[in-house]
Amino acid sequence: MVAEVEERVVPHEPGAHENVSARWRLATFFLALPSLVVFVGLGFIPLALVVTWSFWSFDPDTYWIKPAWSLASYAALLENGRATVFLRTAGLAALTATASTLLAVPAATVVCLLSRPRRAALLLALFTIPFFTSGLVRAFAWRLVLGRQGVVNNALMSLGVVQTPVEWLLFSDFAVVLGMVAAYLPFAIIPIVLVFGRIEYSVIRASQDLGAGFWTMFSTIVLPLVMPGIVASFLFVFIVAVGTSMEIQLLGGAGASSISIMINDVLRVVNFPLAFAIATVVVTLLIVLVIVANRALRLSRLFESLGV
Amino acid sequence: MSFDLIVAGRSSGGRLLFTTITALCLTIMYAPVLYLLLASLNPDAQLGLVPPSRYSLTWYFALLEDRRLAGALEESALVGLATAALATPIGLSAALAYRAMTRMRGIFLLVVLSAMFVPGTIEGLGLSATLRLVGLTPSWVTITIGHLLWTLPFAAVVSLIGLSTVKQITIAAARDLGAGPMRAFIDITLPLMRANLISSFVLAFLLSLNEHARAYYLVGRQNTLPLYMFGAMNSGASPTIYAFSGAVIVICVAVVALVFAGLAEQPGEAREGRRARPG
Amino acid sequence: MAHNSGNRPSLGVFSQLTRRRLVQNGVLGAGALAAGSLGIPRAARAADEIIFWATGTLDIGDAGWKIIANDSGVKVQFTDNGNDPGPVVARLAAGNANDIFDIGGLQGGSEKELARRGLIAPWDLSQIPNYASLWQWAKDIPYLTYEGKAYGIPTVINADSIIALRDKAGNVDSYGAIFDPRLKGKTAMEDAWINSVIFTAIYLKSSENAKIAEPGNLTADELGLVMEFLIKHKRDGQFRTFWNGWEQGLQLVANQEVWVMTGWEPIVYAARMRGVDCYYAVPKEGYEGWGNNAILLKGAVNRGRWKAAHQLVNALLSGFYGCKLGMLRGYVVPTDNNVAYATANSSAFDPASVRELAEHVKQKFAGKVYWQNTRPDNFQLYETWWQRLRNA
Repeated sequence: MVAEVEERVVPHEPGAHENVSARWRLATFFLALPSLVVFVGLGFIPLALVVTWSFWSFDPDTYWIKPAWSLASYAALLENGRATVFLRTAGLAALTATASTLLAVPAATVVCLLSRPRRAALLLALFTIPFFTSGLVRAFAWRLVLGRQGVVNNALMSLGVVQTPVEWLLFSDFAVVLGMVAAYLPFAIIPIVLVFGRIEYSVIRASQDLGAGFWTMFSTIVLPLVMPGIVASFLFVFIVAVGTSMEIQLLGGAGASSISIMINDVLRVVNFPLAFAIATVVVTLLIVLVIVANRALRLSRLFESLGV
Repeated sequence: MSFDLIVAGRSSGGRLLFTTITALCLTIMYAPVLYLLLASLNPDAQLGLVPPSRYSLTWYFALLEDRRLAGALEESALVGLATAALATPIGLSAALAYRAMTRMRGIFLLVVLSAMFVPGTIEGLGLSATLRLVGLTPSWVTITIGHLLWTLPFAAVVSLIGLSTVKQITIAAARDLGAGPMRAFIDITLPLMRANLISSFVLAFLLSLNEHARAYYLVGRQNTLPLYMFGAMNSGASPTIYAFSGAVIVICVAVVALVFAGLAEQPGEAREGRRARPG
Repeated sequence: MAHNSGNRPSLGVFSQLTRRRLVQNGVLGAGALAAGSLGIPRAARAADEIIFWATGTLDIGDAGWKIIANDSGVKVQFTDNGNDPGPVVARLAAGNANDIFDIGGLQGGSEKELARRGLIAPWDLSQIPNYASLWQWAKDIPYLTYEGKAYGIPTVINADSIIALRDKAGNVDSYGAIFDPRLKGKTAMEDAWINSVIFTAIYLKSSENAKIAEPGNLTADELGLVMEFLIKHKRDGQFRTFWNGWEQGLQLVANQEVWVMTGWEPIVYAARMRGVDCYYAVPKEGYEGWGNNAILLKGAVNRGRWKAAHQLVNALLSGFYGCKLGMLRGYVVPTDNNVAYATANSSAFDPASVRELAEHVKQKFAGKVYWQNTRPDNFQLYETWWQRLRNA
């Protein structure tokens, strides 16, 4: 009886049963089909075009690309500080993702564990609403909040905390990270809130009965179970932050750069092979990052169901 | 037993810290939004705060007559809904496929995630070139394709999280009672995933609503809302765009407030301390 | 959220609320669908409709375009192309712009490459009678023609210099103010080498006697000289920021975030309306001249819009457009037809102010003006140096 249950229940758990039946394989294929159609059918061809074109050369006669294979674009990435841009963007994105996740975990805990249903739903709605407005306009508004004559400086001066406006509030890394965190917090909070569904109410009750305090309960029960959400939250914010240019352009200092800004600069001088090379490098680096994270965090085991 | 008793009590310092952090999150998120709301009541032609005595709805009235913005909003809403409607089920199927796989898992995950790695401008350009070869007229359809590529990985990961909250024992029980895999999925898994699917839909919609890099190359004659905003910020448009942000906030908050007002506290809920779960 | 384990899925208040959220979104979407088209490509348009894809600077609003339609018989649908020549050219070269749009409007300099690639078609000046009324020096701008044919028709012309706050920066008459150490952290330039490099080159040529032949077309050595100068000042913290686009530029001036910056003239008008005492400097080194030009996309010719396109451009030069643009933004169409139109229609436009604006621009161009060029010979080198500036 137990063996029968196991057979019906766990044929898709990795390593549990190597005799995956042909029906299961077919079912899996059909499940994967829609996404494969989208990614391979629609996504692969543009990517292939881009990668191919990155190995061709700029043709000064037509201002387009000629099929002369060369690594010149990739070599150009190592000059003029372009590599610095990759590092800086990745660093800013990682910082934003870390800050967002660190803020999101307590916020999600409050929503899911420390609030009545109505308050929880209200909080969740509040977290999502700003994202219905334009991100560009929101980022622009930060200039008016943090500027020399902005809300914060006016408050600080009228309270007598400072005599002259604080300059580094705006057009600095501080402003950029603040703007990005403010913009992308919902991305960080939503996955963690969703993953709280894994937590058994009765388990928490049991831990309380056994005498666990808040922090013990949090570190031994909540944290391990919400790990998938934390990983997803970091991934979401990192990806969106790596690809954005708005906050950096609006809130960064003179000529602040990011990967997107660099791509736009390069497209402006119709150096298409270089632009495509940048994109290829970005995709490659991120794929490598995911592979490394997969090994280190054992991602394949992370999203499994509990129980059995 | 009321859930309040569960997590209150000992080490309320933790509770206080977490609540403070939540308040901090809300402050950071709403600082620009509230500023926009107040500044949109400024009748002058440039963004800034004014004393309450000068508040005026000038720009909100101008908003009602702004045909261009209405057109852009319509286009964005259409694209957003189409993207979300496609991304949610396809994301779910991708998540199911991932969990059903064994050896191909890593590669499949990479294929799914790689779509979000391509920088938006380049993706838009490449996709636009590809779609031209196929002869597809640029319209909301082409934008939706581009946005689908962008939002699908997010929807898939969200669905993965959702599936991980469905406990094996529940499925086992259903199967034990004689349900086939399809039946178990439709009757047990899907309802448990309900809130997760809704979140996936809303997330995909919001992602599409705010995306402009891909849209630039895929758009037809009618710009989407973010492209309209960019154009307005670059070449100068009236402050109706700020009134628009204010209007969106007010409408959303009003809807939420109405929903809450309409939902009376259900009898017995307070007594039982029943806690809802997002799925 | 924790849930009560059991056989029954717990619905709870939460999921009901989120369901309502979904319904609300659905209602919004259905309303949008009902109100508008489904985006199915329309059948062939009426032959007298033109899609004008240009920087927002050239837009006169739906009401204005309606008057143009009445006057010329050509209906105009205006789409903003984002005011950045880079994506515009990219979309023409590799994207779908030629399939959708008929006439483009962008900053001059790219006409040569677009013509070479067959992306734009030459204008037949015999079909544009009003072309004769254009000011001669506007017609003579070198990048408008390629191989003897006119590819760009100048629609808006202006000469740019510096915006300064009178009470903070005093009387500014030189670009040196931007690089003045006394104004450290209080200056800004545009985040575009198209403008900022030429301003710096003009300054270095005139006031520091650098060996620069043509500020709008620098050689590799000259470019290095200019960029090293800018990099040094950026490292010293001279610039508060670089700005990009109208709202950003206006915000910097109106909120007194910077005291001196290179910028567009209409920002001065807009900031003055806000009560800021600022002015447009008359620099002794000279101005930077630029133009937004109309180009004829090849796709329009293929779609049979050739005649309508010429009719529209002729209408743009006939006077109403110039008056309207001058009133809306303070920009000038380089023709005397504006004054003539205002005189004939003095109830709509004040002839005196139209004339004043035209004279103001003419006077600027009578002095030292160096033309902006989005495609100098070394244009890719410009971008490389700008990257170095960004990373400095």
